[in-house]
Amino acid sequence: MPRYALTSDPRVGVEIVSAALACCTLELQAALGSGVLVESSEVGASPSVIVIAGTVTDALVPSVMQLIRAHPGVKVMSFGACATSGGPYWDSPPVSKGIDQFVEVATYVAGCPPRPEAFIQAIRDLACSEDA
Amino acid sequence: MKHSFIALIEDKCTSCMLCVRECPAWCINLDSHTVEVTEEGARRPKKVNVLDSFDIDYSLCMYCGVCIDVCPFDALAWDEHRALTSTNREDMILSIADLRPSGSS
Amino acid sequence: MNRVFTWQQVAPDQWRNKISELIDSGFFYFDFLTGVDRENIDGQADCEVVAHLAKPDLSDSRIIFTQVKSELASIADLAPASSWYERECAEMYGITFTGGDTSPLLRHEGLGRPPLRKSAVLAARVLTPWPGGAEPEIREDGRKVGNVSRRRQRPPGVPENWLSP
Repeated sequence: MPRYALTSDPRVGVEIVSAALACCTLELQAALGSGVLVESSEVGASPSVIVIAGTVTDALVPSVMQLIRAHPGVKVMSFGACATSGGPYWDSPPVSKGIDQFVEVATYVAGCPPRPEAFIQAIRDLACSEDA
Repeated sequence: MKHSFIALIEDKCTSCMLCVRECPAWCINLDSHTVEVTEEGARRPKKVNVLDSFDIDYSLCMYCGVCIDVCPFDALAWDEHRALTSTNREDMILSIADLRPSGSS
Repeated sequence: MNRVFTWQQVAPDQWRNKISELIDSGFFYFDFLTGVDRENIDGQADCEVVAHLAKPDLSDSRIIFTQVKSELASIADLAPASSWYERECAEMYGITFTGGDTSPLLRHEGLGRPPLRKSAVLAARVLTPWPGGAEPEIREDGRKVGNVSRRRQRPPGVPENWLSP
């Protein structure tokens, strides 16, 4: 798992696995590459986050579940409207209406796609909830 | 202007329902009622809509801006102040008080 | 580079002739073929099939379209690249391309209306309460006594009486 530290607060470390499913993935990569996170092996890796970025179709649910189960104890981030509720595809039969129907979601990030600030905010919130 | 939030300017909203009907994600809910107001010098009272509640479900919203485009009174506007995250999906439904534009309180 | 796009409508029985003619006159780069549902738009209960052919340097493009009922002659033997698009178009718009490859791409057979036709109703749009159906309420003493408008609103894409027998 790649390990990152927040540039603005290098004490906050995070491990990130991203499930690249649709266009939100590109925005997530842009957020990761925007300089708000730096790859670092020195920082502690808490929290561990799995980012579900993009449209989850019913056909993909088993693969997504498998990925999440392969990382026990990981926190699930629902990144963007599609993963959270189906988003623009809310009326489409093959799209699942939110990943919280089958996994426990630690944090939802609104947006289509979410802004990098929202992603960083979510990472911070997760880190704070770990401390508490 | 960052397109990171859609704000509601409550005073400008006439409860015309255009945004609610045009929203492709069906993420706006609006409740209103009508009252009769008699203006001084007017012969008959006129009907005025009063906004009771206005909710945007940000877990569904795709930030397309159609609601902003169709609003005839500019009651909806792009706003840059918020990165919206939540640990709970219900908390992503924002109502009038949470939808105020940045700079106003 | 200055690119030229020319649109041209042909009769369905001229479809193959026109494509063949274009290929012979140098438009042998086949880009794509797709359908457009024209139902309820200009009073035609038809589907349109659109194909884009271009000169290989992309300087000159022809977009050929035709109105079809449910069948059109395949052009897969003239432009082999069109075979995949015809299969997609058949699956999504329910058009039969006679003489072409009829094997399905993604969908199982018997799944109901082709999904990209307007007549394919999305059940979620019918079953989810539409927020736009609300009207400002008339209230007296805090009690609802009626709506301002008697006109019943329906959301886009939801036919009347879809679930009623």
